Amino acid sequence: MDASSPLKSSPPENLRDRCQTLDLVLQVNGRSRRVVADPRVTLLDALRENLGLTGSKKGCDHGQCGACTVHVDGRRVLSCLTFAAAAEGKHITTIEGLAPQEGDLHPMQQAFMDHDAFQCGYCTPGQIMSAVACVTEGHAETDADIREYMSGNLCRCAAYPNIVDAIKQAKPLMRERDA
Amino acid sequence: MTISESQVGPISEGGMFGKPVPRIDGRLKVTGAACYPSDTPMEDTAHAYLVTSAIARGKIKAFHLEDAKAVDGVLDILTWENMKGKVRSVRFFAGGGYASSTIMPMSSSKIWHAGQIIAVVIAESFEAAREAAYKVGVDYAVNKPKAGFDESRPQPRPMTNPLTRSDPATGDAEKAFAAAPVKIEAYYSTPTQHHNAIELFSTTCVWSGDQLTIYEPSQYVHGLKNGVARQLGIKPDKVRIISPFVGGGFGGKAALTARTAFIALAAQRLNRPVKLVATRKQAYTVSNFRAETQHLIKLGAESNGQLTSLSHEGWEVSSRPDEYKVAGTETTAVLYACPNIATRVNVIHADRSTPGFMRSPAEVPYIFAIESAMDELAVALHMDPVELRRINDTQINPITDAPYSSRALMTCYDTAAKAFGWASRNPVPGSMTDGDWLIGWGCATSCYPTNVAPAEAKVTLAPNGSVRVQSAGHDIGTGAYTALAITAAEFLGVPLERVSVELGDSTLPPAPVAGGSNATASICNAVADACKELRHRLVTAAVASNGPMHGLDRDMITFSDGQLRAPDGQSETLMAASARLGFGPIEAHAKYMPEIASKTIKLVGNAMLGKGLPIMASGTSAGDHIQYAFGAEFVEVRVHRRTREIRAPRIVGAFAAGRIISPTTARSQLMGGLIWGISAALHEATEMDHRFARYVNDDLAEYMVPVNADIQDVEVIFVPEDDTKVNALGIKGLGELGNVGTNAAVANAVYHATGQRIRDLPIRLENLL
Amino acid sequence: MRPFSYQRVDSVSAAVQAGRIDANGHLDAPVQFLAGGTTLLDLMKLDVMRPQRIVDINPLETSLSDIAVESGDVRLGALARMSDVADHPAIRKDFPVIAQSLKLAASAQLRNMASLGGNVLQRTRCTYFRDVSWASCNKRIPGSGCAALEGVNRKHAVLGTSENCIATYPGDFAQALLALDATVDIAGVQGDRTIAFRDLHVKPGETPHVETTLLPGEIITAFRIAGEPWMKRSLYLKIRDRESYEFAIASAAVALDLQDGIVRQVRIAIGGMATVPWRSEEAEAVLTGKPLDEERARQAAQAAFAAARGRGENAFKPELGRETLVRALLEAATLEF
Repeated sequence: MDASSPLKSSPPENLRDRCQTLDLVLQVNGRSRRVVADPRVTLLDALRENLGLTGSKKGCDHGQCGACTVHVDGRRVLSCLTFAAAAEGKHITTIEGLAPQEGDLHPMQQAFMDHDAFQCGYCTPGQIMSAVACVTEGHAETDADIREYMSGNLCRCAAYPNIVDAIKQAKPLMRERDA
Repeated sequence: MTISESQVGPISEGGMFGKPVPRIDGRLKVTGAACYPSDTPMEDTAHAYLVTSAIARGKIKAFHLEDAKAVDGVLDILTWENMKGKVRSVRFFAGGGYASSTIMPMSSSKIWHAGQIIAVVIAESFEAAREAAYKVGVDYAVNKPKAGFDESRPQPRPMTNPLTRSDPATGDAEKAFAAAPVKIEAYYSTPTQHHNAIELFSTTCVWSGDQLTIYEPSQYVHGLKNGVARQLGIKPDKVRIISPFVGGGFGGKAALTARTAFIALAAQRLNRPVKLVATRKQAYTVSNFRAETQHLIKLGAESNGQLTSLSHEGWEVSSRPDEYKVAGTETTAVLYACPNIATRVNVIHADRSTPGFMRSPAEVPYIFAIESAMDELAVALHMDPVELRRINDTQINPITDAPYSSRALMTCYDTAAKAFGWASRNPVPGSMTDGDWLIGWGCATSCYPTNVAPAEAKVTLAPNGSVRVQSAGHDIGTGAYTALAITAAEFLGVPLERVSVELGDSTLPPAPVAGGSNATASICNAVADACKELRHRLVTAAVASNGPMHGLDRDMITFSDGQLRAPDGQSETLMAASARLGFGPIEAHAKYMPEIASKTIKLVGNAMLGKGLPIMASGTSAGDHIQYAFGAEFVEVRVHRRTREIRAPRIVGAFAAGRIISPTTARSQLMGGLIWGISAALHEATEMDHRFARYVNDDLAEYMVPVNADIQDVEVIFVPEDDTKVNALGIKGLGELGNVGTNAAVANAVYHATGQRIRDLPIRLENLL
Repeated sequence: MRPFSYQRVDSVSAAVQAGRIDANGHLDAPVQFLAGGTTLLDLMKLDVMRPQRIVDINPLETSLSDIAVESGDVRLGALARMSDVADHPAIRKDFPVIAQSLKLAASAQLRNMASLGGNVLQRTRCTYFRDVSWASCNKRIPGSGCAALEGVNRKHAVLGTSENCIATYPGDFAQALLALDATVDIAGVQGDRTIAFRDLHVKPGETPHVETTLLPGEIITAFRIAGEPWMKRSLYLKIRDRESYEFAIASAAVALDLQDGIVRQVRIAIGGMATVPWRSEEAEAVLTGKPLDEERARQAAQAAFAAARGRGENAFKPELGRETLVRALLEAATLEF
């Protein structure tokens, strides 16, 4: 290995500043929200602990259950595996910001109620955020597709068949609304 | 699928029982506004993170806390060295106490099981607490642990041992087995399983002077309140539990776990709120679990299928100090007509945490064994498995001759079989295929005892005609909010939207644990009693008044659409009738005592309930009868002929569970139970490294619960059943009924698909290669 | 999770500069690149990975997330997200093995997050690796032993193992890349280089902690495939306990050039069975130039797993692997366009 190998080179500077604190501005549900946080804070913890948006749930904290699903720039992602810092500058939508205006329900929220698509309700915000994306992605065309593309959201109460029914109800209403 | 009224029996007088309505707490749940305990907004919160034992048996020789303490933001670290003697011991839940285990972590340096809490780090932030927790150094003195069962099958022991004479038995099972022309003798086993509710185990404690408020998801707020008070040596009225929503319980949040007292003490030491959200991995050892079991079943039958001998010996794993067992032989011994029955249950102690309730605790493992054996017997007899159940059906307890209060097992079988299309089944294993997939159809019996507990409820009628129901019961997803609202609406004749329900707060009138499928029966009866008292007062005043009810027979007056109505068509509004009793709200506080309660329960039940102690009248011994809900389950499995993966695309269950108060939520409960059963049969097992007695698949990527794609057609059918012996409202409860028979139904279907009889759960593709 | 400093970069050269660091291997380097984060955050929370600096390369998305199919050749930017590639019409039509391997992996949310570059570098699911309270893991602590050898190892590897490590490579997409003979473009302080994808991962041997041939600071910029029309006849078969959202117990990626029933070319990769993405030239050799029928497929499967070695709970895996490959080959042969 020659002298210029990266393995031989020394770190260019001190790797970390122990007290690094980030002053972030997150765009959440159409509003700019300031978060002053350690770089280790995940988007999920920032929403829940810093911003009081507790609709997004922690069920595993490792990307294994889907309860923390939010939309970032319109795509469904897991907020527990997203650093808050990395979400800066992006549009974040949580269950609290899903309805067009306060007091209203999104067609998917109404459909979940109509079909009893939950029991304990803990996974429900994540299910609904995922279900809305499932429709907008075009992955709700068949029952089999819905089941497959909703498989990242565990429901231990096992409301799965009702969730599929809810998505089928909401899909045409969402299309109508967006048309 | 929608639920038609005919499926749940006639609509009640008030028009509400049996009417499918949306869950009344639905809006809160779909908007993210439902406040689960860890969602509670709190100022100046410190965050706790647990450190758990990496060994299963031994002692902590020393802690090295320097690195952890040096982490920016660390406030306090609790270990046995500063916690010793701080938490008083309380009795084990299953022994009539509060605690999920008699093991009290951090009371000494002793390690009883892997994953035991050995330290609690508290810091300014969750991130700092987690970092420091990983930096806690521990020197252990390690002893070799016993993990559970050995490699070999447990050996049967004599059934006549006088120490176990309380085990259900009759006749001479051994002799009858020897003489039987057709016999089945086999071992079965079920694995360790964990509840894995999606909500994590969280606890937030806040002190205000000497008043402690605990936000913790709980299936028994009065038990938690009283248990923590006793642990901390304070009066129970100084402790309040707030748990309005519970993100899944399944038995894991029923009894007091060790974490709560530590968080309370941490909050006291720091004089600020402390919040713990234990990790998913920690969820496998900070609460309880379903222990692994083994079973030896011997069935003897005449060649016409009539059982002549039934014996069931079970073995269950428990912790070193706790003699915990679910002992489902109570049920398997009374399931079928048989003159000779012998049972026995053994406990194997190991270096494990104490097991406990998990959805349908006793019945799930024991019914798997007996219902698999019944299917084997049907095969041996060349008999349809449904017909084998019919031949051996009974309306009495075969041991005591006490009647079942009602038992519609065969109606369930016939209803479900028809919906499933069972008549077109070719019984030859491997005979039904679809392309490369082998199809198997199997069935099994489901049942669960109808337990009922003392319960209290307060119902308040406001001057504006709205109704408030209050009880320290719990809605863990069961639909309790909705069922209780329906009950009040039924009896007071008000629209559902005029009823509000408050649950999950220990300041409310005490209610029993949400477990054993008792809650709907117990609390609905309490609410009904309170409503009846209000009605009595309203009607008494109305007939004594100069109003339209003047002088009428009180019993003739009915309540509907917000009106009191007389047979002649006269009516007056609830508000007008209520105003007669004075200004302001009128309220009634009912203390319901189960009709089937023993003398002892009648004597001490209310007092025990108030102290948060477990008290329940069991359906297995309800005075002059026994009371169970029944069901029949039919499953289709598909096994790929090359790669042998197993799928269960279709399941039908028909259930007779007395009066169905809330069909929407009842159906969801049963559907969830059926899916739980599929999952238990094919997916779920907490794997253990036996060398170390440690779990290895303790997260949701490796412990398989079903995903949406695993489940296709699920059909739930209610078989109408009228049974007011079980309790005044005729409710049997069904939260645990759905998943009882499914394990065996799946295993029986796998046999039908492949000809391979798998007696050890879960059934995985390598069993079929 | 240990404290770290967070920085964003807006060019590949800045990323490479920021990533320069002394380290024994790429994956244990104290500087880590953040793309989708689905492996990195997971393992940082578990205290398995302890980077001191995180370099967020997501701003490079504008230049590194292209999905280009031109004149039959494919170029996939390393920051393209799994879901976008899986849904790309030309990929689905002409290179189904790629689309399927991506679609059958993880969940919709994870696929929206995870980049292709990060995907091929995802780390094993071995519990003894992922849980730092286990004392023995040569991958995590070189020289500490392997707890899985005699432990719970149902999902562990039977191919490419050593006495030091039997941890399974968990990914799916890598098998598709192997089956299409992909190459990898890499940028580093010493300049850019391109290697065959099959040379990216290294078997555990004596050094299970070294998982790839990437040097610290190097960054994958793209994957390229020299496309052939016959690659339409390709598929990814994944076997698992549950229907979705689970790592493979066994998988096979097959690309088949079949003319008049005769195999002109075939490429076979095996997943869920090996310590690294596993190409089986032994199985390919059995089939090349021969008619493809069940018996020939079985012979190929025998060859593919001739060297397989099960230990304890995973003893069933060679048989499952053979059945999986037979099924994949026969299904590929019957594909119609």
